[in-house]
Amino acid sequence: MKNQFNIFKNTLVMVFCVLAMMLSVGCEEAFEFELPEAGSVEDTVLPTADFAYIPNALNFRMIEFNNLSTESIKYAWDFGGGDTSNEKDPTYTFAAGEGTYPVTLTAIDGNEASTTVTLDVEVVDKFVPIPVTILNGDFDGGSADWKFSSFTGGNTNPFNSSSDGSFTNYDGSDNGAKTKGAKWTSSTSVSAGSNARYAYQAILVSPTLVDRTVKYILEYEYAIKTPAEQAGEAVGGNRIFSAVLDGHFDDGADAVASTPLSSFVADEVKGKTSHTTVRQEFTTNASGEVAIMFSAETAVDCYIDNVKVYAAD
Amino acid sequence: MKYIKFLILAVTGAMFVSCDQDEFLNPLPDSAIVADSFFQSDDDVLAAIIGIYDAVQGVNENTESSSIRFNRGVQLEYLLTEHRSDNTRSKTLEGSRADFHRYIVEPDNVQSEDYYQSMYEIIFRANNVLEYVDNADASNLNRYTAEAKFLRAYAYFNLVRLYGDVPLVTRVAGSDEKELLFTRVAVETVYAQIVSDLQEGVTHLSSGHKARASKAAAQSLLAKVYLTQPTPNYSGARQLCEDVINSGEFSLESNFSDVFYNELNDEIIFAVQYLEGNPDESQGFSSEFTSYSRQGRQDGLNIVNPNLAEDFIAYGGNRTAASYSAFGDDVNLPVPEDAEVIKFLPFGSDISDTNLPTYGDAPSNAGNDWIILRYSDVLLMHAEAIMAGGDTADSSAIDSFMEVRVRAGFDPVGDRPAVLTTNLLLLERRVELAFENHRFFDLLRLGVAHDVLGAHATLKGYTSYNIRRLLLPIPSREINLSDGLLTQNPQ
Repeated sequence: MKNQFNIFKNTLVMVFCVLAMMLSVGCEEAFEFELPEAGSVEDTVLPTADFAYIPNALNFRMIEFNNLSTESIKYAWDFGGGDTSNEKDPTYTFAAGEGTYPVTLTAIDGNEASTTVTLDVEVVDKFVPIPVTILNGDFDGGSADWKFSSFTGGNTNPFNSSSDGSFTNYDGSDNGAKTKGAKWTSSTSVSAGSNARYAYQAILVSPTLVDRTVKYILEYEYAIKTPAEQAGEAVGGNRIFSAVLDGHFDDGADAVASTPLSSFVADEVKGKTSHTTVRQEFTTNASGEVAIMFSAETAVDCYIDNVKVYAAD
Repeated sequence: MKYIKFLILAVTGAMFVSCDQDEFLNPLPDSAIVADSFFQSDDDVLAAIIGIYDAVQGVNENTESSSIRFNRGVQLEYLLTEHRSDNTRSKTLEGSRADFHRYIVEPDNVQSEDYYQSMYEIIFRANNVLEYVDNADASNLNRYTAEAKFLRAYAYFNLVRLYGDVPLVTRVAGSDEKELLFTRVAVETVYAQIVSDLQEGVTHLSSGHKARASKAAAQSLLAKVYLTQPTPNYSGARQLCEDVINSGEFSLESNFSDVFYNELNDEIIFAVQYLEGNPDESQGFSSEFTSYSRQGRQDGLNIVNPNLAEDFIAYGGNRTAASYSAFGDDVNLPVPEDAEVIKFLPFGSDISDTNLPTYGDAPSNAGNDWIILRYSDVLLMHAEAIMAGGDTADSSAIDSFMEVRVRAGFDPVGDRPAVLTTNLLLLERRVELAFENHRFFDLLRLGVAHDVLGAHATLKGYTSYNIRRLLLPIPSREINLSDGLLTQNPQ
């Protein structure tokens, strides 16, 4: 029994000795945990800062920035005047309007390394007026597209169709012969009352806003017969009225009663098919909804052709 | 036996000193020796050149179906180009192939990674040929050199347009040459290399080939490069297009459908050939373009956007019926929602019954060629070169433009515009070259990519779109391999 105990004791001593030795020389290094930093490589690729910008389609002052920075996750924008942003793709409105503004972008990576770039942002008003197409402006289609939809106490027929229009085609080329036109006579003059004829067409133009005045030109050709061709003269002279109306009108009576944005009296008498070109400039209204209207006060036949509307300049 | 201790000592010692760790872990690649010993004759060089075309051709997904990168070559290109334009989309939203049309391609996208690597495979094989081209017969030396350089330029042209600055490697490089392999080079420098490679092609390539590089292919591709490079060379492009036009080698097919189903016809300048039914030489994209009666691995790719169908209806003429088709209930809509591309139907297809289309015996191993350059593209490039970034009333520009339109069934007098505008040209290119991977590059080249694609993305609700998405991200696999040398595009 004692022998057995001795064996047990010796074994125990042996085990403790081995354990003690292992602990003292233990291969701590071999089992040491790798720290997260161990083996990591320094980030030598630093951020680059760059951006592009596009003006908003509806408001040239509102600039949409597109961040083109690389190797970065945080951004600091400085638009000047104390305005800043930390968005990636901010939108900023330069309230002062046109001009050159230095904008600074700092691109920052996860280690707070940063690069800064300052670029000049050009805020330019690239306003392009709405192009206007006059329907049946050459009157080849007779009176189509020139009628009021209703006319209280009047006549929705706009004019007499005529083959005695201008020699000039709508595109400006010489036709070598007469083209179709629109005709007014003594019986369709304004003074003819309910039988008077008004040519009307509603159009849409770029509106004049607080900070932008928009001008268009109404262009047309007209001719008035000479006394040699046809005798007679209306009170105040044979003449054609062209007007740009402030708004769209369903009823011709309202249109005639309205105050136009612009009106013009064409009264040069050169004879049939000897056309004079009128370029009537007008400033658009705030809605952009305007209309053009023609009428005449004449004792002899007179003609209109090639009606166009386009932006001034 | 008493020497056993010494023996053990000696053996142990020998083991300690014999194990050259460096050589054991980094053996010299056998391939270097193989390449050195392979090129012995003119035939060997020619075989290696054909090998470059093999890299362009790519591996059919139905032959090697693993979705990891597998050098698909040109077979996945529609994802990176058509899907990223307003032309087409993926039917499903699942999987990385559905990322392209929604502008959510990330650096780990496997198809982008595959394409990037495929282009560098072409470049590697071309550089390899150039290294050993001296073994060819002296009479063939210039031609072989020009052919390899043409293909290298083709690959770089694709890379630079899709990824921007890319590493420019013009010789065989070892894997330890990290600086060369992973340093991005400015777009301008890459274009200079492309131009010089293609100019050599214009000088030394011969005429006649369509499935291999020819003089006309080099002229046409160089014209496109001139129009695309950061500072366009419009007069150079015009001259090259006129050389191709005046060569008399090419003409438009009178029947638009014949362009695609009469292979290597008079209109083709350069195409990649495939063999139907042969797993090693066939392509998988024809089957992927089906959806209603699905033949491919996906639910349907390159599905036609209604917006493109509208342009086809207005400007397509007789090309519309040969370009896409609606199936099932879609047929009854004025503008189909999910029409499918029919320029590359597999051999034996019959889609006359739109409720029961059939696609032949081996749709997934299709043999339809992939057209890279064709004559109508050159005609429209000719017009574009004369336009020089603006509008033109030049009659020779409008003549070229009208030649393409008249083939599509338009009237040579009544439909002839007085002034050719960028918008008209873009529309014409869109319907003429739809599904041939031109649209995205056309929008970029003509400077309207952000306007058009931004509006398209807004309309479709692809909210991830922003101007940075016009460049694909550099694949993360490449960045990881580069030890921090390769930088990422703005994200």
